[in-house]
Amino acid sequence: MSTELTVNGEVRRVHAGPMTPLARVLREELHLSGTKMACGEGFCGSCTVFVDDDAVASCLVPVGHAEGRSVRTVESLADPAGALSPLQQAMKDADAVQCGMCFPGVLISLSALLESDPDPGRDEVREALVGNICRCTGYERIVDAALAAAQAAAGQGRQAEGNGS
Amino acid sequence: MSQVIGANLPRRDAEDKLRGRTMFTVDAAVGGLLHAALRRSDVAAGRIVSVDLEPARRMPGVRAVVSAADAPGRYGITIADHPLFAVDEIRYLGEPIAAVAAETLEQARAAAAAIVVEVEEFTPLITMAQALAGDARDLHPGWEDYDVLIEGGRRARNIGWEATVVRGDTDAVFARSDVRIVETEFAAGRQNQTPLEPRACVAGYENGRFVLQTSTQVPWAVRNSTARLLGVRESDVRVVVPPVGGGFGMKFEVSIEPFAALLARASGRSVKLVNSRQEEMQTALCRENAEIRIRSAVSESGEILAREAVVLMDCGAYGGEQPFLTSMTAHTLGGNYRLGAVRLVSRAVYTNSPPNGAFRACNGTYCTAALERHTDEICAALGMDRVEFRRRNVLGDGDIGSTGQVFEGDVLAPMLDRMISLRDSGEPVRQADDGRLYGTATTVGTWFIFVGPSAATVNLNPDGGVTLVTAGVEIGSGSTVQAIPQIIADSLGLRVEDVTVRAADTDAAGYDGGVGGGRTTVSLGAAGVAACDEVRRKVFEAAAEMLETSPGDLSLADGHVVVNGVPSARITLREVAEHAQQVSGPISGSGSFTGTGVQPMSGCAAGHLIGALDLPVFAVHECDVAVDPDTGHVEVLAYRVVQDVGRAINPRAILGQVQGGVVQGLGYALHEEITIDPRGKVRQTGFETYRVPLSGDVVPVRLDLYEGAPSIGPLGVKGAGEVPILNVAAVVSCAVADAIGKSVSQIPLTPQRVLGLILERDGESVDLRHIPQGWRENVIADPDELMAAAGVGRP
Repeated sequence: MSTELTVNGEVRRVHAGPMTPLARVLREELHLSGTKMACGEGFCGSCTVFVDDDAVASCLVPVGHAEGRSVRTVESLADPAGALSPLQQAMKDADAVQCGMCFPGVLISLSALLESDPDPGRDEVREALVGNICRCTGYERIVDAALAAAQAAAGQGRQAEGNGS
Repeated sequence: MSQVIGANLPRRDAEDKLRGRTMFTVDAAVGGLLHAALRRSDVAAGRIVSVDLEPARRMPGVRAVVSAADAPGRYGITIADHPLFAVDEIRYLGEPIAAVAAETLEQARAAAAAIVVEVEEFTPLITMAQALAGDARDLHPGWEDYDVLIEGGRRARNIGWEATVVRGDTDAVFARSDVRIVETEFAAGRQNQTPLEPRACVAGYENGRFVLQTSTQVPWAVRNSTARLLGVRESDVRVVVPPVGGGFGMKFEVSIEPFAALLARASGRSVKLVNSRQEEMQTALCRENAEIRIRSAVSESGEILAREAVVLMDCGAYGGEQPFLTSMTAHTLGGNYRLGAVRLVSRAVYTNSPPNGAFRACNGTYCTAALERHTDEICAALGMDRVEFRRRNVLGDGDIGSTGQVFEGDVLAPMLDRMISLRDSGEPVRQADDGRLYGTATTVGTWFIFVGPSAATVNLNPDGGVTLVTAGVEIGSGSTVQAIPQIIADSLGLRVEDVTVRAADTDAAGYDGGVGGGRTTVSLGAAGVAACDEVRRKVFEAAAEMLETSPGDLSLADGHVVVNGVPSARITLREVAEHAQQVSGPISGSGSFTGTGVQPMSGCAAGHLIGALDLPVFAVHECDVAVDPDTGHVEVLAYRVVQDVGRAINPRAILGQVQGGVVQGLGYALHEEITIDPRGKVRQTGFETYRVPLSGDVVPVRLDLYEGAPSIGPLGVKGAGEVPILNVAAVVSCAVADAIGKSVSQIPLTPQRVLGLILERDGESVDLRHIPQGWRENVIADPDELMAAAGVGRP
């Protein structure tokens, strides 16, 4: 019994039973330990990954359900040898990180938001984060950084348009 | 003088944490790792009739099973009352009975479940009222035989420790006819730290020594307690700490490390033990629930002539931190204000509930809430302005605290003024005509830095950079990745990137009190600076030879040794390091630090491990709330903090700590509470039922850093990470009371409770009938003897 799925752009065959939570397969079989599993019950959001285009709690997804689908984890957000993604860089610039356990999930939830809504307001960012528990930061800086990343991207977009005309 | 101090430098661990690359203890995966599970008690109280481990040993994949016979010792902070596994008697639901290591986690859990435990159940004593009842069973029938690790506290049956304060003739003041007496009751719930990384450990047994990689705040305490529990030499335990995924105090004691250690020795393999979220909820070393009576005699002109208070602290099944924390009442509930005479008693009470522990500003949160509610009730009784009353009564330069300590510097009064400026500089809160009730409050708080011993070594490397070796742990607060390297860089005239900070390893670094009590930047920083002093002296000796001058004419700047007044005469630290290596050997320095040991007034404090504060810290908080009278829901509209930081090494990092600490405090004030059913089971099993603040619940905190108050810390610094939670419950309780016009005497202020207060429903008031009214009726010791020791004659 095995499952074939695409993980961070690469086709992988995994051997855990089909009911094994995807989060455990990512962490234990594929050694992608960036994805955390702080509660294992779908409430904390530290295991959030993309399955196709949706940000989901991977501790609740049986790996069998991911057959043939595309999974993206925090490790996919930036080239390991390259620069941070704009969202990651904004978090670093804002000094948003503390213990760091929630960030892999936070970054996926916010990436999903920015993919669907490149120019969110403060309330939209807060809503996108409501499934991610952070016990250290009190959230405000994470929200600030997400808004800064969105603004920077919009600024670059405008600049590109300006250059093109 | 320095571009490093006061700079908002980034965290050096941010990038890996953002890439998902940081390896926490829960992420450890080495080849051949066994997985462990604990068999825990499913009843809260009883006599163990038998434990049969054999069924577990026969289960597939099992490599080791250990139990009480393998761990002969008991540990504690003041009293060694806590065995690793339950011995003879079960005292809380979830108490470990045996531990299993197997090839897979599922096999370990199945084997643990197969262990047969026979228990003769007792009726559990869940509440402090039950444990203090006259006919209550002793939770620790052998309490008089336990090893006393620290002397001083009175003990009796279910009272694990009692600390008292007596200063002045309180009886005489309360008997006066010209005083007004104000009484307040307060009760606070139990709060779970819920760091996202649970308690976790990977243990190995190498060359006859235990090697523990663990998620802890206190590597040296884990070393000591593990050795004590296992009956081995302390030097046979090595503790290594990777980045820790949050602690907040819960990891300030040994926890699951000794189980993993025993299993590693028994199996000959590395063993990983990680608590599930459910185990974390059932057995977290929470902030204790507490019950408080406080009364004061005040003059019509607003002086506090006498105060007395009783504080009950639920330590759960074993003493742990609470006997130690009874010391804090003197400085929190007995703090903030000038008191003519004062009498306090704090009692750590055993119950059949999971042991409690340390949580950010332990004891201070609820004592400050009780004190500040009491202060507002005094103001109401006298018809005085609440800020003005505080400004007139807060401790200032030369005033004496509850235990007779003389305070230095006017700090709280100017901080109150700064709060008013902070409020006036922002947008006023708009009170909409929406039927909600609006309130505001301003509270003061006194906390301290738990200074204690630290050791540091600084090695000057051949490239001219330095490595700082300490037992400091990075739990997320940033101390070891921001403030500490900044302080070291400043001390040696280096760039921060030239300072490497070694992760904690008890084989490499000297003794340290651990990361907690706001002490890291102060104590490790001071030890580090002392080590730098030795490095500097040696560098100057070597460089003086090279530059043909005397050491006294040299200084350090920009990675160079410079001859004072001759900017062109300079050499790089790298050249000095290379030269020294050839001539005298590599340069290193060692340094150490501990508190100054400020003492209380003779006879004033009994049973106190901290009788006076080496390094007090103050905070002023203010908030605006709106309460929905139909639902009881409290919304915090705005939040302001003026915090005494001594000196801000990295102001932006401090704001991060303040925002996070305030939000944890809002959870405590409004909705976080661990409750225990009559069988002893914690009702909250995870994040579904234990509601921590989410992104939609928070407000941005406006912060004013108050610098310049006296401090024994390096560069005048005070720890900034612990204190932000101190007066959150206080200010929210006071603001809600202001909004609804009713007395608030219990936290968390859930909608149901607030609605009950608004509607004056029965059952919403606190029942403290088990605490007698007077102080004299609440002490184990002879009250007259305590009074006499403090120099007060018999009434």
